Amino acid sequence: MKNLKKISKQKQRTYEGESDLNIENADMIICRCQEVTLKDIVQAIAEDATTVNEIKRRTRAGMGLCQGRSCSRLVRKILAEHTGQKFAKVIPGTFRPPVRPIALSTLASLEEDTDDKS
Amino acid sequence: MTNPDVVVIGGGIIGCCCAYYLAKQRLKVAIVEKGSICSEASKSCQGHLFLWELPAINIKLAKASKKLYEQLYNELDIDFELRNTGSMSIAEKPQDLETLQQTLNELRQAGVECQMLSAKEFIKTEPNVTRDISGGASFPEDGQLNPLLTTIALTQAVKKLGADIRHFTEVTGIELSADKSSIVAVETTKGKIGTKYVINAAGAWSGQIGRMVGINIPVVPRRGNLIVTEQVPDNIINCQIIIASGYLDSLKRENKTAVAANVQQTREGNLLLGSSREFAGFDKNVNPEVISLIVKRCIRFFPVLADLHTIRSWAGLRPYSPDMLPIISSSPIEGFYVASGHEGVGITMGPITGKLITQLITKQQLDLPVDQLSVERFAEKQ
Repeated sequence: MKNLKKISKQKQRTYEGESDLNIENADMIICRCQEVTLKDIVQAIAEDATTVNEIKRRTRAGMGLCQGRSCSRLVRKILAEHTGQKFAKVIPGTFRPPVRPIALSTLASLEEDTDDKS
Repeated sequence: MTNPDVVVIGGGIIGCCCAYYLAKQRLKVAIVEKGSICSEASKSCQGHLFLWELPAINIKLAKASKKLYEQLYNELDIDFELRNTGSMSIAEKPQDLETLQQTLNELRQAGVECQMLSAKEFIKTEPNVTRDISGGASFPEDGQLNPLLTTIALTQAVKKLGADIRHFTEVTGIELSADKSSIVAVETTKGKIGTKYVINAAGAWSGQIGRMVGINIPVVPRRGNLIVTEQVPDNIINCQIIIASGYLDSLKRENKTAVAANVQQTREGNLLLGSSREFAGFDKNVNPEVISLIVKRCIRFFPVLADLHTIRSWAGLRPYSPDMLPIISSSPIEGFYVASGHEGVGITMGPITGKLITQLITKQQLDLPVDQLSVERFAEKQ
């Protein structure tokens, strides 16, 4: 348990520390699904976005196939660095069902599945 | 910071449109939003400019609003993806075709451009539609935009015009003059803001704001669920907005939970599958049964959808007004205005609402008469 706490603290620190998320790397892709660059995200912050969700609405970062599973932490880190907040204080984006892509046919049969069980 | 002339409560499409037209009249505006800008109904919708919701007054408002969007598209700095897509309606069964024909007769009288289509004509335009339909109609005046970018574009413009945007600031009370006839200040979680004018554009929450000044606004939340697919090519559907028969029925208030197939494609290529109307209080969780039913209905009309993937679903709270008309109104309290109750046509009617509210406040001639839209129609009879 103690070890776990230590690891989680260390992990937290790596997100608080120095990074290469600076303007020299402006063309770095942050959200691969929607090809959103660091520059796009920094611009959204300059235009008053203060949360992951607001950055998403402006830039589409996190709107793609993986729904922010790759970029969401990075976006939080960029937000923390550029707004002077602690990483842990930056509110994460909202995750919504189904979280992983599923076929629409599966979703359509949801109701029948519940019927079977009852 | 000096006091604003007007405090707009609500940073959704309605509040942002009001702020924009007020700021253009050189009024000093503050938008007060309890969350972030565009974080409720305005972000939860399809962005459909729906120009055929009766009665006639709604159609007049929608048409005027679409013209304003065309102007905004040139005025604002962000490309908010406004498109003249038109829309199509599917008649499922022969009796739906009859109902649709009757609706079209009424719509034509109200000045809506529309045309009946045979099943054959419909299938020719939309090769992926099931052969098992009775026909349909087309509405070439409908359009689409990206509601997120539209709201953001408006907030950026109002900021340039000197407005003050206070997000994550919740209104806790409204201070009135001693004789309760006019506005003194708006109390918020981040302090008091002195002002003479308040616009209640709080959407599903506008009833609560009304209670702060003793004005009855019977607007309640009506939940809508949407499903979004992965980005797909633009040949799944050709007309980017297709609505199956049953949609207009689903709007009726006697339906506690109503579902209709409504398939739209955004400019980025995702399909948005809707739609539903539910009275579920302020609960914003998606209803799995409802989204399953929506998808089933959409696949019924477009079997090709079955193999596509959904990446997300969500729900939002539309501001439902009991007589299905929006409220665009002054009030018995001097300086207190209401812009709410648009339910499913908030995006459609945003600009005209903002313009009319501005004209009411600045006592200019109104683009359209608003007597029917007065909040006083809900005044409790003594």
